[in-house]
Amino acid sequence: MRLIKNLMRAAAVVALMASAASPATAATIAVVGGSNDDAFWNLIKKGIDDATPAVVANGGSVNYLRLQNYDNFAPDVVQLIRTAISQKVDGLVIPNWVPEAEDPAIKDAIAAGIKVILMNAGGADKARELGAINYVGSDEYVAGQAGGAYFASHGKKHVLCVNTLPGANNTEARCKGVTDGMVAGGGAAEQLPLPTTSFGDPTAVAEAIKATLLKDTTIDGVITISAGDADAAATGIQQSGIATVSLGSFDMNAAGLARIKGGTQTFAIDQQPYLQSYLAVSLLAAAIDFGTSLPTYPVLTGPGIVDTVNIDATLAGVEKGAR
Amino acid sequence: MQSSFSPGALLRRPEAGAFLGLLAVLIFFGIFGGLTFLQPAGMASWMNVASNLGVIAIPVGLLMIAGELDISVGAMVPFGAMTVAVVSGHYDLPIWFGIAVALTFGVLIGLINGYMVIRTAVPSLIVTLGTLFAVQGIVLGLTVLITKSTSVALVTEGVAKTIFGDFLFNGQVQVMVLWWLAITAAYIFFVHFSRFGNWIFAMGGDKVSARNAGIPTERMTILLFVLSSTSAAFVGLCQAILYNSAQVAGGQSFIFNAIISVVVGGVLLTGGFGSIVGIFFGTITFAIVNQGIYYTDFDRNWSSLIIGILLLVAVLMNNTFRKMALSYAPRKTGGK
Repeated sequence: MRLIKNLMRAAAVVALMASAASPATAATIAVVGGSNDDAFWNLIKKGIDDATPAVVANGGSVNYLRLQNYDNFAPDVVQLIRTAISQKVDGLVIPNWVPEAEDPAIKDAIAAGIKVILMNAGGADKARELGAINYVGSDEYVAGQAGGAYFASHGKKHVLCVNTLPGANNTEARCKGVTDGMVAGGGAAEQLPLPTTSFGDPTAVAEAIKATLLKDTTIDGVITISAGDADAAATGIQQSGIATVSLGSFDMNAAGLARIKGGTQTFAIDQQPYLQSYLAVSLLAAAIDFGTSLPTYPVLTGPGIVDTVNIDATLAGVEKGAR
Repeated sequence: MQSSFSPGALLRRPEAGAFLGLLAVLIFFGIFGGLTFLQPAGMASWMNVASNLGVIAIPVGLLMIAGELDISVGAMVPFGAMTVAVVSGHYDLPIWFGIAVALTFGVLIGLINGYMVIRTAVPSLIVTLGTLFAVQGIVLGLTVLITKSTSVALVTEGVAKTIFGDFLFNGQVQVMVLWWLAITAAYIFFVHFSRFGNWIFAMGGDKVSARNAGIPTERMTILLFVLSSTSAAFVGLCQAILYNSAQVAGGQSFIFNAIISVVVGGVLLTGGFGSIVGIFFGTITFAIVNQGIYYTDFDRNWSSLIIGILLLVAVLMNNTFRKMALSYAPRKTGGK
């Protein structure tokens, strides 16, 4: 009985505190994010979790709205935006994955007086066009360019960009960036698009890379569009027996970081998702609570290159669930 | 039964069509892919892909012969990989224990699939579609809960690495190729030289009659589902050991690729007809068509188109030969 009484007392105190806080301009913020099975969006969650205490300290709250899956992608995302509008939030952090579908809903949110920051997908031009207050994220093309430039500055002449999802905007932009970065550095690059029958089968990906390396021995660099593909690529390169080929990857995982530490992978390009959500939530809360505005536009969180120079610091971040 | 050897009889065997399809794609890539394709490194390339697929394709094919389907293998591959990576990578327990746990889960899901199919009479496509999603959910949920990540690293050394995930013969051929050949030989014995085989074919032909004839159809169905899901878990755990890493996603391509290999290998989608050797050839055909592309000069953007056309050609050749075989009647030699 005493327990219940105490609980009720605690609940009353919380309710009092909440009602005391609400008259002030307290930012209620909604963040829309990708599905649970996506490692990336768990790092985003860590950034949100770490930014939330500051928002709460000023009387606000943060709500992370996640997609269940990507099966009904565009309508589900729009539905989450509509949910946020109906919850009468003050701020919305939203990745603009599908502009055609999302733009009208984002415009409605802004028309309803919600301050919006585009995060992860969309870019600066889109943020300006919609009237969002900023874009926080990386730029796939710029990230690709950084990868190409890294290869070129390390003496590589001919790079293969392995694309296991050909035709998707972001993977194409990554490979195009690699090509342009290599060309600017005096080298060359090409894309290897793999058929869908090999997606998710590391042996098929590894063998495709091996075959390509055996067929064209001028290739001295390989970069994959995802960290998982790099696991397969490492085997493919080792199987080809050509020791001079160096490996890079977009994004990173534990096995990839172990390879960088051990010397069988040269680098990984990180878009630093932790910073995306941490900065987006903090910037938005400050803008709502205190009227701040950041002259830096867009806020790029990547590309961050991970190689032997900073691998130990990166691994320490992985331990803490932020990298 | 004719006792004397004749080329005609050989051509009328169920696997003859599959073999001719294989020959056709071999010639195609021999011409367009040149010599590297047929040299050891090139051969290892498609044998490696075929072996991983083949270990799953044979039990899937047996299920199809028996009139059932198992698409949950697409989730069992990452399940097997993730189980061994979490047990032996994340928790650092002995690798043999991780392997045992992964295989046990394979048996368990197979039992669930089998029991649900025989108890509920829901088509196995739907039952295994359910377990496909359910297992994907389990893999994802547990992995994120336990490791806070969707990708888990695994370092294996010693005998386990050699047996389950290493390269042999100048470091070109995956050890999985040996597993595949051994497992195929075992299946050939049990399916074509023991009574189990006839039971499976009878079940695909007419399940009710098969049961009335005294065949333990329910036990056989469960056994076949256990075989397919355990095989998929086995391929998954070997991949995790080979690539030192396991991903939550992936593996779904095995569903379609296995069914394609089985059909290219001459098994009827309606069940009751097919052979292990046919599936074996069908798997190699599929792997060659997939990997051969990289030895040619075709623009890679056309890969899927070429794969599609070649697979259709292989199946059509197969069908033509099957029709010839089934409609063949031996000429009468001398009256009575």
